[in-house]
Amino acid sequence: MERPKISGPALVLAIMKKDLLQYSRDKLYFWLTIVGLVAYVAIFWLIPAEVTEYAVLGVTYRDLGPLDAAFSEAGEEGLRLLRFDDEDGLRRVMAGTAEAWLDADGELVVVERGDKDSRPEGGTKQTLTLGLAFPDNFLLDTLSGREATVRLLVNNNTPVELRQAMRSLVREMVFMISGHPLPVTEPVAETVILGVDRMGAQISMRERMRPMLIFFVLMMESLSLASLISVEIMHCTVLAIAATPAKPSHILLAKTLFGMLLAFVQVVVILALIDAFAVGNLPILLVAAALGGLMFSGVAMFVGSMGKDFMGTLTWMMLFILPLAIPSVASLFPGSAPLWVRLVPSYSLIDILNRAANYGAGWLELAPAFGVLVVWLLGLFGLGWLTLSRKVARL
Amino acid sequence: MHAAIQVDSIQYSYGSHQAVKGISFMVAPGEVLGFLGPNGAGKSTTLKMLTGQLVPAGGTIHILGQAVRGHSSAIHARMGVSFEEKNLYHQMSAEENLRFFASLFGIKQPDIDGLLEQVDLLKRKKDRVSAYSKGMKQRLMIARALINDPAVLFLDEPTDGLDPVSAQAIQNIIRQRAAAGTAILLTTHDMMEADKLSDRVAFINEGLIHAIDTPEALKLKHGQRAVVVRVRRGGGIEEIQVPLDAAATGDSLKRAVDGQEVVTVHTKEASLEEIFITMTGRGL
Repeated sequence: MERPKISGPALVLAIMKKDLLQYSRDKLYFWLTIVGLVAYVAIFWLIPAEVTEYAVLGVTYRDLGPLDAAFSEAGEEGLRLLRFDDEDGLRRVMAGTAEAWLDADGELVVVERGDKDSRPEGGTKQTLTLGLAFPDNFLLDTLSGREATVRLLVNNNTPVELRQAMRSLVREMVFMISGHPLPVTEPVAETVILGVDRMGAQISMRERMRPMLIFFVLMMESLSLASLISVEIMHCTVLAIAATPAKPSHILLAKTLFGMLLAFVQVVVILALIDAFAVGNLPILLVAAALGGLMFSGVAMFVGSMGKDFMGTLTWMMLFILPLAIPSVASLFPGSAPLWVRLVPSYSLIDILNRAANYGAGWLELAPAFGVLVVWLLGLFGLGWLTLSRKVARL
Repeated sequence: MHAAIQVDSIQYSYGSHQAVKGISFMVAPGEVLGFLGPNGAGKSTTLKMLTGQLVPAGGTIHILGQAVRGHSSAIHARMGVSFEEKNLYHQMSAEENLRFFASLFGIKQPDIDGLLEQVDLLKRKKDRVSAYSKGMKQRLMIARALINDPAVLFLDEPTDGLDPVSAQAIQNIIRQRAAAGTAILLTTHDMMEADKLSDRVAFINEGLIHAIDTPEALKLKHGQRAVVVRVRRGGGIEEIQVPLDAAATGDSLKRAVDGQEVVTVHTKEASLEEIFITMTGRGL
């Protein structure tokens, strides 16, 4: 019989086709992947894209004279004022029993909570951060040196810093009106913004989620691949392949490419669905997705070799995934990550995805992060390859 | 005769434990060699060295005239292996399993239906292997080992735990392949099966081959044959054994039956198992 010859790439391709068939037959991972993709995209679009750059301050006052100018000035610095006719309305809105609406003409309307009929047509609901209730004779009392009480109305959503700022503002007003010096002289502070001033172009929570969602996809695919490898080892099917012209290196290469492609394709799909290509640097995102897929294939090879059953695979995967997830969670919050988070292997990947997808960073800017990513990739992938090779040899 | 499998003084150790201690044998094309031994005797280690999974610490292995070391891909292309473990892809059908392994041999149009018909699985070819019985899985293992029409076939416990019908079907396939010229190394615990199928058997124990010959020659050389005569005497049945290999067998037999009411006469032959125990001091 004439023996057909088969090339190395053809062997790798044949094993990959089989892996794809096996993957599609594993209902658990197949559906988890589909449901995961849908859920990630849904969560992304459900998270508000707006960034609130001002606090809404509800105030009650009649004639404040020179204080009107002070409030206007404060409004330009991040405070938006809503003038209430009486303290009762302001109190009820702050307590959540009533709602504040602005009608089409910009007039404030206070309605009972849930009373849809009373809401002004075409109006917009206002969410108050804080309330200031001035007494009716505040100006007169202050000017004549009598004690006047200004009530600060807060609720659970009012940041502590804002409460303190408001107290300072009121003291400043009293000083302006009465001319008496304040008991404490506060230093003149100058606001210094480090880095790019993103005022007016801040990154919303939705946009901050992009790296985390990509991490979820990589994690899920890593678990799927680990499960495939684990089953192959448990059932010794890898021995049956090794008894054909395919060598263990073909099996390892096929697993690597399959895992990488599976993760890469899904990351590309989710990047497209969460609008990352529209705002980010496309080639950088694609390269990062491929390197991420490769890194997590290494994790999957290690986990798949160590796990003796489904629970074992899951346990080993959790040991890897939980620390690796920290940078993706950290990316949700503004500011620099602490040093220990930067030492987590997945940090450079998340950092690249975050800066490329959300800030439009370029190759030059990201080169150091890519360097660190490649080093970690070689480490994790090397660990996975070595562990799986030894496992196959010992079967 | 040119050997399909030629093994010379191969050795292998797991750490300080020497599992195979320099064994040699050959299998000719069309020959079935039964490889018999208890657990831990060195059978599986030998099989792994022959199939290229382990590299011998010493000695040489030639399959179809080529050294296993350095030619493993070319040799694997002409080799079929049925493992003791049912290492099939359970989420795939029989047809998909065979098609995948055919693709690893570069076979573009494998005769999958023909093979499945041989092992009586054609009607179930679309079913997932996870739904198969143990016997069906074993038959599929045999079909998979034959997918590349191998010149050399390694069968590890091919009928272990099977019902008589499934075992008979597999034994028939082994005979057919041997008749077609395939060299077969058969590892088994089942001495009856080895006796029926093997042209020669090798007894392996503690990493050494203690004997290798045809079953008949081993029985002649190491076992005792006798004629057993059962006679009715004094209201009971008495059994008289007359050794066949003694000098005066004829006279002894005549004395045993002369004037007696003979109930049965039959010959008794040593089994391979008895010979194995005699030679190695160990049971299988």
